Amino acid sequence: MTAATAADPDRAHQPGGSDQAKSTKRTTSAPRLRGLLPLVVLLSVWELVGSPGSPFFPPPSTWGSALIGLWENGALLAAVLATLTTFCIGLGTATVVGAVLGLVVGGSPGADRAMSPTFEFARAMPPAAMVPIATLLLGYDETMKVTVVTLAAIWAILLNTRAGVRRIDQTLLDAARSLQLGTVERIRKVIVPALLPAVFLGVRVAAPIAVVITLLVEILTHVEGVGALIAQSQRTFQPARVYALILVAGALSLLVNGVLGMVESHVFRYLPGKADGSE
Amino acid sequence: MTSRMRRLRWINWPGLLTMGLLAGAWEAAVRWSLLDYQYLPAPAAIAQGARTLLTSGELIPNVLHTLLVTLIGWSLASAIGIALGLLLGLSPTAYRYSMTSFEVTKAIPPITFVPATLLIFGFSLRMELVIVVYVGVWPVLINTIGGVRGVPVELLDVARMLRMSRYHRVRKLIVPAAIPEIIVGLRLTLSLCLVLAVVAEMVGNPAGLGHALVLAQQALQPEKMFAYVLSAGVLGITLNAVFRSAAAWMLPSPTSGRGGGSP
Repeated sequence: MTAATAADPDRAHQPGGSDQAKSTKRTTSAPRLRGLLPLVVLLSVWELVGSPGSPFFPPPSTWGSALIGLWENGALLAAVLATLTTFCIGLGTATVVGAVLGLVVGGSPGADRAMSPTFEFARAMPPAAMVPIATLLLGYDETMKVTVVTLAAIWAILLNTRAGVRRIDQTLLDAARSLQLGTVERIRKVIVPALLPAVFLGVRVAAPIAVVITLLVEILTHVEGVGALIAQSQRTFQPARVYALILVAGALSLLVNGVLGMVESHVFRYLPGKADGSE
Repeated sequence: MTSRMRRLRWINWPGLLTMGLLAGAWEAAVRWSLLDYQYLPAPAAIAQGARTLLTSGELIPNVLHTLLVTLIGWSLASAIGIALGLLLGLSPTAYRYSMTSFEVTKAIPPITFVPATLLIFGFSLRMELVIVVYVGVWPVLINTIGGVRGVPVELLDVARMLRMSRYHRVRKLIVPAAIPEIIVGLRLTLSLCLVLAVVAEMVGNPAGLGHALVLAQQALQPEKMFAYVLSAGVLGITLNAVFRSAAAWMLPSPTSGRGGGSP
């Protein structure tokens, strides 16, 4: 603790150090423990003031036992697995379909112009509002969950792929032509490697959306998953469980981001020309 | 005359044609039962459903309720987000002693707070507003902090050179430089507030578009459901367009970034 606080002023006095910190837009500095102070204070006050029987604000210590109870009867593991399954299948489908569609509209300006109003229109429909339609058409099952998640996650991937196709270096295509590569070879050896970073950026943007929409569908439809378990705990008035599961959902979204961050740093480290914003 | 011709050329005919063809194919597929879904209405039936909703006076009050909650929630969220963002962006001490807390809280998908607010506030308008405001604060907060802390160092040097007081520095340099990014946050938040209002109405507050949607689902009236979903979508597009033109009117080229010198 003292070491950390002692090290900080030094860092600030490094030449250019503070300037650089100011000019970078979003500082991704290492998490600082002292920044946790308000949260710790809040939870401590909650722990001291809250009574274990409170129907609204049970103290944090009761959350742990609620979580252990859920773990022991197997409900927690089943819910987490169900949520992760929907998330993975939904994001996977969105990646494949989004990349293919993005390739088509990115490669052909005519197709882009013809499809863009339809896409804009479909994108404007709020995914949450699609849930009742999906349940009426497909029923309360995994297919319905995956469909809604895919529909919500597809756009970021589609738009990033489209932008990636437009940014492909013309020299690469010329090189492929002068090497007389066939269509399959050209796609496999030139276009796909050139597009992977753009598609992956789309996946990074789409993944948090997919997590949120998975939980949303589960909350709205009560089809198995962490969201459904939260909604069920709420309807049966078990507030400690609700708060505990909210933390589980937070851990899940951190896990997803962590995994994607690792993939990014290991696989795409060597790739130049990282794509920026969503469009 | 020429402007009309230019507008005609500006219209995306192939795009509209594709939409028309897709709608026609949908209509045909449902008419000739090529699509095997019991509750899939054809576009014509959806249009009929929308007309019924309009003439019977069901649609407008629901849209107004959702719109009102969205706008109130958005205003509150923007005020809180900008105030908190300015505090955290301007005061290094506040930033150091609380930013990690905000980052940890932000990592939790806000949608999971919907059941918690339902538990605390019950089925009420208050629940809807609380969830809309909570979710709406984040983009404004993050973008305000980013905008304030991202002010170019040269500007701050200028302020130092001119011996500006702290108040003037904030009012004349930092806040104007942060405005483009804050505007982006406000726009993101506006769409989020609308979506969350609909969600809150679906599970919590029995009013507005979200609740009407759920009622239509329970009554097995798919054409009404599609009409409500379309209304929510159109409402979102309209809000976004209004915001964009308002921002463009008040602030010339807000998208050109902070680099562009104002005339």
